[in-house]
Amino acid sequence: MDRDRKRSRHHFEKEKPSINERERCVVWEDHRSSLDELFFRNCDLIKRGSQEYKDFWLFLERYEAFHNKRHVEKNSREKDSKDRTSSKLGLPISYDRRYKINVALLSKDVRDVTGFSTTGTKKVYSSSDKKSGRHSRELSKEDFLEFKSILLFYIDFCQKQKFSKLVKLKKDQANLPISHFREQIVNAVGNNQAVIIAGDTGCGKSTQVPQYLLHAGFSQIACTQPRRIACISLAKRVGYETLNEYGSQVAYQIRFESSKTLGTRILFLTEGLLLRQLTTDPTLSQYSVIVVDEVHERHIHGDFLLGVLRGLLQARADLKLVLMSATINISLFSGYFTGAPVIQIPGRLYPIEVRYQPPKVEFSSSSRRSERLDPTPYVRIMQLIDHKYPSDERGDVLMFLSGMAEITAVVNAAKEYAQQSRRWIILALHSSLSVDEQDKVFDVAPEGVRKCVVSTNIAETSITIDGIRFIVDSGKVKEMSFDTEAKMQRLREFWISQASAEQRKGRAGRTGPGVCFRLYSENDYQAFSQYTTPEIQLVPLDSIILQMVALGINRIREFPFIEPPPASNVENSIHTLKQQGALTDDEILTPIGQMLAQLPVDVVIGKVLLIGSVFHVIEPVMIIAAALSVQSPFTQKMGYDSVVASLRQPLESDHGDLFTLLNAYDEWLQVKSHGSSSRQWCKRRGLEEQRFYEMSKLKRQFELLLRDHHLLDPEGRDEDEDERDREKDKRRELKRLKRDHRKTARKTKMLKLDEDELSGGEEQQEEETKTDIRDLEFKLTHDLDKLEAGSTARRSFTLRDINLLKIILCSGLYPNLALPDENNTNKRDSEQLFHSKSKQFLQVLPTSVFANRPQLLQLTDTSVKYQLLTYVSLLETSKPFLVNAMRVPALQTLLLFAHSLDTNGDLTRFVVDCWLEISLPDNATGQKVVSAVQQLRVTWARLLKLRFEEMKDIPERTSATRRNKELDLESHLANKLSEFLDSDVSYSLRRLLPSESRYLYLGPLRQTQNDREFKDAFPFAGGSEPHPTKGGVRVNEYLTYNCLQDTVMAEAASAAAQYIAKHWRCEKCGQKMLVTVLERLQHQEECQHEEPVDPNDSAGAEQSQTTDKSAAVDSSIERLRKPHFCNTCQTQFSFTSTEILKHKKSHAAASTT
Amino acid sequence: MSETAAEKPMFTCSSCGFECHFEYFGKKPPFSKSVVLLEDAYVIHDPFSPNSGHLTLGGQCCLCSTNICVAQTCSIFYTKRFCISCVEKNTEEFPDEIHKDLQRKDVSRS
Repeated sequence: MDRDRKRSRHHFEKEKPSINERERCVVWEDHRSSLDELFFRNCDLIKRGSQEYKDFWLFLERYEAFHNKRHVEKNSREKDSKDRTSSKLGLPISYDRRYKINVALLSKDVRDVTGFSTTGTKKVYSSSDKKSGRHSRELSKEDFLEFKSILLFYIDFCQKQKFSKLVKLKKDQANLPISHFREQIVNAVGNNQAVIIAGDTGCGKSTQVPQYLLHAGFSQIACTQPRRIACISLAKRVGYETLNEYGSQVAYQIRFESSKTLGTRILFLTEGLLLRQLTTDPTLSQYSVIVVDEVHERHIHGDFLLGVLRGLLQARADLKLVLMSATINISLFSGYFTGAPVIQIPGRLYPIEVRYQPPKVEFSSSSRRSERLDPTPYVRIMQLIDHKYPSDERGDVLMFLSGMAEITAVVNAAKEYAQQSRRWIILALHSSLSVDEQDKVFDVAPEGVRKCVVSTNIAETSITIDGIRFIVDSGKVKEMSFDTEAKMQRLREFWISQASAEQRKGRAGRTGPGVCFRLYSENDYQAFSQYTTPEIQLVPLDSIILQMVALGINRIREFPFIEPPPASNVENSIHTLKQQGALTDDEILTPIGQMLAQLPVDVVIGKVLLIGSVFHVIEPVMIIAAALSVQSPFTQKMGYDSVVASLRQPLESDHGDLFTLLNAYDEWLQVKSHGSSSRQWCKRRGLEEQRFYEMSKLKRQFELLLRDHHLLDPEGRDEDEDERDREKDKRRELKRLKRDHRKTARKTKMLKLDEDELSGGEEQQEEETKTDIRDLEFKLTHDLDKLEAGSTARRSFTLRDINLLKIILCSGLYPNLALPDENNTNKRDSEQLFHSKSKQFLQVLPTSVFANRPQLLQLTDTSVKYQLLTYVSLLETSKPFLVNAMRVPALQTLLLFAHSLDTNGDLTRFVVDCWLEISLPDNATGQKVVSAVQQLRVTWARLLKLRFEEMKDIPERTSATRRNKELDLESHLANKLSEFLDSDVSYSLRRLLPSESRYLYLGPLRQTQNDREFKDAFPFAGGSEPHPTKGGVRVNEYLTYNCLQDTVMAEAASAAAQYIAKHWRCEKCGQKMLVTVLERLQHQEECQHEEPVDPNDSAGAEQSQTTDKSAAVDSSIERLRKPHFCNTCQTQFSFTSTEILKHKKSHAAASTT
Repeated sequence: MSETAAEKPMFTCSSCGFECHFEYFGKKPPFSKSVVLLEDAYVIHDPFSPNSGHLTLGGQCCLCSTNICVAQTCSIFYTKRFCISCVEKNTEEFPDEIHKDLQRKDVSRS
C-alpha cells in the first residue's frame, strides 16, 4: 500500500510541475503526526490506526489529485463574493462544497468552528493560535483549514456511501419473495404455537424469519441449523441485516465457540447443541421461540428434536415453534404437528432447462469395467457448452458425482480437455480436501474462462457456490448406511432421490437462468424414490438413545419419532449401551451412562475418556479421543508424492493409527512451542492444521467436563489477582483479534488458467505474511508450555506406559477386535486380511501403518505373542476396512474384556465371546491366568464403582482418606495390569469355525443326564448356578467353568481334573484349603469381593486392613464369613464361601444316598 | 404478542418510502461525540463500523417540514435541508452548482 502511495505521488508530481502544488501534496504526508494529534485522537470520529483512518489517507491523495486546480480557482473567487446571500431563503450565493455538508467537527483545537458559513475562517483559526503555534512553522492557517474541509468531505462521502449501502440492504430485503409474507408469518406465529414455513432455496426464510420475529417483539429466539458453518454465517448475515453486525444481539453458538451475551436476542445454534441444552434446561426456558430450519433434511438430531419439541409444546403453552423446510414432503410435517398452519413461499429461482442425456450404453466397455466411471459424457458436456454458449457469456459448471474416485476420474479427463481448449479451470470439491483447497471453489475464473467444480453432494446443501449456470448431475450418491449386525458403516453408491435431483438442479438458477444436464433418462428419474432416506434409518442409534434415556424419556421404544427407526436398530443400540455399562439391565442410566450422555462424543470414545480419567493417564487419552471425534488431520490429496510420505513417516507409530494421531498432535505442539510455523509444517506433511486446532478445543472441553464431574483433579494454579487480570487481558485481546479478523475474511481471488495445484508459491508466501489468527487464538487460550511439557513427556513413554494406554483404549473399544488371518504371512502387503467376530475378510486402510508394515502383526519368537487389531469402526467401500486400528496383545486383552469366557474342566481351553479359542499348555498356567484375570477384573470393577457410583456424594469424594484409597487402588491396579501384560504365557489362539459351534458346549441336556449329581450340588448358590444353555457352572457374570466339550482325548484328563482336589492357599486371605478347580475359582471370586468397600465404615476398613497382615489365619476367615440361609435345611449360618459349598455338598451327598 | 420497550421508533422518508428504525433525533448524537450536526437529523449508530460513529438517515425539510431521507434523489443539504420538491419550487434561490447537481441526478435516474 505504501509503495502505491509513493508511486502515485511521483506520478502526480510529474504531471503537475508547479512548485506550489507540489508542496501542497507533500505537506500532508510530512505533517502526518501533527495532523494525527489534531484530528485523529481516540475521542475523534476517526481514530488513528483504524480502517477509516487508512481509508482517509487514500481518499486524501485522490482528492488532492482531482481537486487541486479547482481549489485555486475557488480561493480567488471566495474573496469577492463572500457574505452575499439569496433574497428569499438567505442561502449563500457563492457556492462552496462545504455548504453541502450537514456535519461539523468538534476537534480539540477547533472546538468553536461550528458555523463555517458565518464566522470568518481566519478569526477562528487565530483563536486556537496558541495551541497550534508550534505547528505553524510547517503548517499554514490555510492548510489547516483546508485539511479540515477535506476531512469533512471525507466524512460526508462516507455518510453517503454508507447510506446507499443501507438503502441497498433494505431494498434487497424487500425484494426477497418472503417479504410479502411478513405479516402473515408474524400473525401466524402470534396466533399458533407451531407454524410451518415451506419455501425453496433463495426465498430468504433462513435470514428473514428470525428478523421478522424480532421486529414483531419476540425475544430469545433460537434458530437451529443442521450445520455449524451455517450458524456462523447466518448469525453474521442476520446481524448485518439488523444493523447489528458489531453487537451481540444476533449471535451463534456451536460446539467450540459462542458469541452469545446477555443482550443476545437471536441465537443460531446447531440441532445437536439445543438437544444438549435440554439436559440442563429440560423445558428450554431460556428461549421463547424456537425456529428449526432445514427440517426437510431429516438429520437424526433434527428428527429427535422435533419429537422432543412436540412434547414440549404441551408442557410450555408460551413456547412458539417455527419449522422451516424446503417445499419437500410438507404433508409429513403438517401431519406431525396437527393444526399447524403452513405458509408456502415461492422460491426465487430463475428458469432452469432440464436435459436428460443418459450416456449411450457401450456394451463392450461397460460390461468389462463396470466398476470404474467413464468420464467421457462429462467431457462431452463441456465441449457442448463451449460449442453452444459464447465464451463471453459467463456461467460456471457444477458437476455432481458420487465419490472421490469418480471425481478423480472426471477431473483428470476434464483437465486434459482444459489443456487443449484453454477455456476451463477444473476444481475438485469433497470433504477430505483441506479447508483452503475447498475455498478455491469460491474464486472466480478470468474473463472467457469457465470454472468447472467437480463435487460430491457436499455442494448440494452444505456449500453454495455463486455463479453456477450449468449443472451436470450423475444421479448418483454415495451414502453411508449402518449394518447393525456387523456394526459396520457401509458407503455405497445409490441413485439419488427426486428431491435431491431437484435440489441439485436448483443450484444452477440462483443468479440467472440455468441448464441442468442429467446423465440419466427421464424414466430413471421417475423411478427414483421421492425423498432421501432420513438419517435416522441409516446410522447407529447409540448416542441418541443414550441421550433419550438421560433426558428421562421412559419409553424409548415408543418415542414418537416423525418416522421411527427400525425396532431392531433400537434394540441393538440398547444392547450396546448395556454392554458398555451405560445402561443397567433394567435400562436405567448408570452413573457412567450419565457421564457419557454429557460428553459430546460417541459412546465408545466417551467410555475411553472415562476410563482414562480413572487411571490418571488422561492427557494422551483426551488427545486420542479428540482426534477420533474430528475429521482426520491426514488429508488425502490425489498424487501425494514420496516427499510427503517420507515426512509423514516419523509420525507413524508401529503401535497403530491411534498412536500415530497422538504423535502427530504432539509433534505439532513441539513445532508450535519452538516458534516455527506450524502452518508450514502441516502443509508439507499434507496435514490439515484446522483439525489440530479443533482437537485442542475439544480436548479443553473434555477437561472442563471431567473437572465439573470431579473426574479430573482441579487445575493446580493459584488464582491470584495478577493471574485473573492476565486472563482478562487475554480474553480482551482475543476478542479484538477476532473482530479484526472478521473484517479481513477471505477475499475472493482470481483463478489462473495454468495454475498447478501443487505449486502456488506466490499464494503461499502471501499466506505466510498474514498473521495466523488461529495460531494467536490457540496461544491465547492454551498454556503452551504446559502442553509442550506433556508432549515431551509422552515422547519418552515406556512400553509399559503404552501398554497401559492400550488397555484403557481397549476398554472402550472392546469388542471391536479383529484377528489376523492365519495365512497372512504368505500374502502380499496389500492383501493382508483380518476377521472380526461379525465380519470376515477385513483389510486395514492403505494409510494405516499396518498396511505398509504387516510384519508388525506377525507371530514372532520374542515375548510378543498373538496380536489382535482393535479398531474404532468398520467401513465398507469397495472392500470392508478397519478404521483407526491399533495392535494389542491377544490373550490379555481378550481375558480382561471378554463378555463371556468359557472354560473346560482343567482350565486349558478358553472360548472368548463364542468366537476365539485360547489354548494353554497345562492346568497350572490356566489356574494362574484365571486367578490373575479374576483379581484384575474385580479390582477394576471396584475402582470404577468407587469413582462413578458413589461419587454422587461429592464431599465424600473429596475427603482425603477416600481419595487416598482410590489412588492406592488405582496404582495397585495399574501395577497389576502391567504385570499381567508383561506376563509371558505361551498359548495358541484360533478362530472357531462355524461348524464347531454345535459341539462347543456341553449344554444343559447332557449335564442333567451325566452330571446330575453335579447340578444338584449347586441348586441355590448365588452366582454359581449352572449355565442355562452352555452347561457348566457360572462362576460370575463373565466366567463359565467347565462348559466346553473337550476332544475325546482331552476329555478324560479334563473330566478328572474337575474332581481332583488340591492343596491350595489363597493369596488374598491366606486361607489354606483342599479344593477342586471350581471351588478354587469360586473362592477367588468371593474372596476378591470381600474387600470392604463400605464408605460408611472406612475407619473400620482401614483398621481391618492393618490387622490383616498380622492377624492369624483364623481371624481372617472369620472376617470372610457372612450370613447364609440354607434353603434345604432351613437354617441360618455364618459361612465363608467355601463353607457354603461344603455345606451344600453335604446335602447333595445325603440326597443321593 | 407485545411490543417490547426496546423497539425503536421508525423513520420513514416521505419521498421514497425508505424505512428504518432511528435511534436519535437532533444535532448531537450521543454515540458520536466528536461531531455536531448542522440540522436536526434522524440518526443511528454507524452499523457498518466496529467503532463508534453515526449514520444520518434523514432530516426535515426546512420549508415544508416533511421527513426526508438523505438520498440525493430525495433531498439536498445546502446550509439547510431541502426536499427536492421545495428545491424545485425555489430554484432561483440556489447557485448554479446545485442546479448542475440536480440535472446530473435527473440524467442518471432516467
